[in-house]
Amino acid sequence: MRKLNVLAVVLFVASLVAVFMLNTPTTRRIQERVLAVFAPFVHSSAAVGDAVEAVSAPGMDSVELAERNEQLRMEVQRLRIIAQKYNQLVDENGQLRKVLEFKGASPFKMTAARVIKRSSTTWWNTLLIDKGSLDGIGTDSPVITEQGLVGKTGKLAPHMAEVILLTDEMCRVSAKVEGTLEQGILAGERAGLDMVPNLHLRFLSRNAPINAGANVYSSGDGGVFPANLLLGRVIRFQNRDISGEALVKPAVDFSALDHVFVIEMQEILQ
Amino acid sequence: MLFNSVVLILLLLSFGLQEFVPAVPIAYHARLFLPAVFFFTSAVATSFPMMLLLAFVTGFLWDARFLPAPMASPDEALALMEGVERQFTGMGSGEVMFGMSIVFFGLFGTLMQGVRPLFKRGRLELPVVMIGIAVFGWLLSQYLMITFIRGSFSFPPAVWSKMITDTLLAMLVAPLLFLLLHALARWMRFEIRYDGLRHYSHGR
Repeated sequence: MRKLNVLAVVLFVASLVAVFMLNTPTTRRIQERVLAVFAPFVHSSAAVGDAVEAVSAPGMDSVELAERNEQLRMEVQRLRIIAQKYNQLVDENGQLRKVLEFKGASPFKMTAARVIKRSSTTWWNTLLIDKGSLDGIGTDSPVITEQGLVGKTGKLAPHMAEVILLTDEMCRVSAKVEGTLEQGILAGERAGLDMVPNLHLRFLSRNAPINAGANVYSSGDGGVFPANLLLGRVIRFQNRDISGEALVKPAVDFSALDHVFVIEMQEILQ
Repeated sequence: MLFNSVVLILLLLSFGLQEFVPAVPIAYHARLFLPAVFFFTSAVATSFPMMLLLAFVTGFLWDARFLPAPMASPDEALALMEGVERQFTGMGSGEVMFGMSIVFFGLFGTLMQGVRPLFKRGRLELPVVMIGIAVFGWLLSQYLMITFIRGSFSFPPAVWSKMITDTLLAMLVAPLLFLLLHALARWMRFEIRYDGLRHYSHGR
């Protein structure tokens, strides 16, 4: 073997070992820098995708647009009234907790974000949103829509973040089943290649009294995902070797995500 | 030198172009992996040391861009360190190590070097087939790695369907990339050598 080739192999192996020795914070920093570098390409591809969709989508006439606009304005006004009522209830709840000397419920701040695109990975279910570290987004923050839990943030760029979807096997949530005391771990399917992937709620009791149609919520254990986020609905329950497992239909339609909310858990107010 | 530099620049450009490559939803989100295909085609055209450099760059950038971020939540890390039996939420532990793609690309790039004589003569049939084998092998290696780390041997038909579609898309584009590299080599008067395959009579 030529000396140059031997030297090349030695350098290659040495570089490989150096990469394997990188610690987690360094790896994350590298990934975030690379994501920031490729951010213009991501935004451009999303713009191209939107333009193609706009051309191919059937046009709406002005009367239809005006009606839709009016419906949306009324919906916004209705939601403003509900939000006002919600804030009043939160204040009242806080005051009552204080009187009863209960620990304050931890409020959370939500940041709205637009979905740029589904990611181009091989075996992982992720998507990219248009808010990042400079917009107040943190790593490992829950991401939700009005339908339920979407997933969790991963890599961050200054104005972009990767979200690992609930349908990915990597994103596991401590969950409870409505109407029972059963708790388990909810996770997606490996590679999640189906058009509508299902979720698996594992480590339940054998012969647990779980009916099809029961809602599944996050339990709040682990401190990552807040409690009582809707995750999905039980399709069926089956016994495994030593525990039970429920097949769950996700609450969120992952094929039609446009806007999401990133939750930042704030410090508990004493 | 110029040819190698241009190949490296084109490889970096392929990562940017990858963002524009759409998935095929009806084929289980199969897609063309442009950086990987470009690397495998350029592995045939370049020397062994250059191939290793390209493998390192491709693998490093691939993991940096497309591998999900490693676990960082302090609750989870602490629970693992303490060995606490706690309901574990968030990201899974022990995911694919950053840098594994460098190994896969290095191995399959070395495999591709074997068909350099054919590429030099302008024969593309076997190199295109080898591209397919390399892409399929790379995807399968990744999936096997994930399966090994996570446990529970799971091979749904969708996985095979996706890998085969990804491979076919790669084989469809490979001839174009080969022709591009051939044209570049001719234009820059770059001679594709395969000294490593020659046997020197004086034992060197």
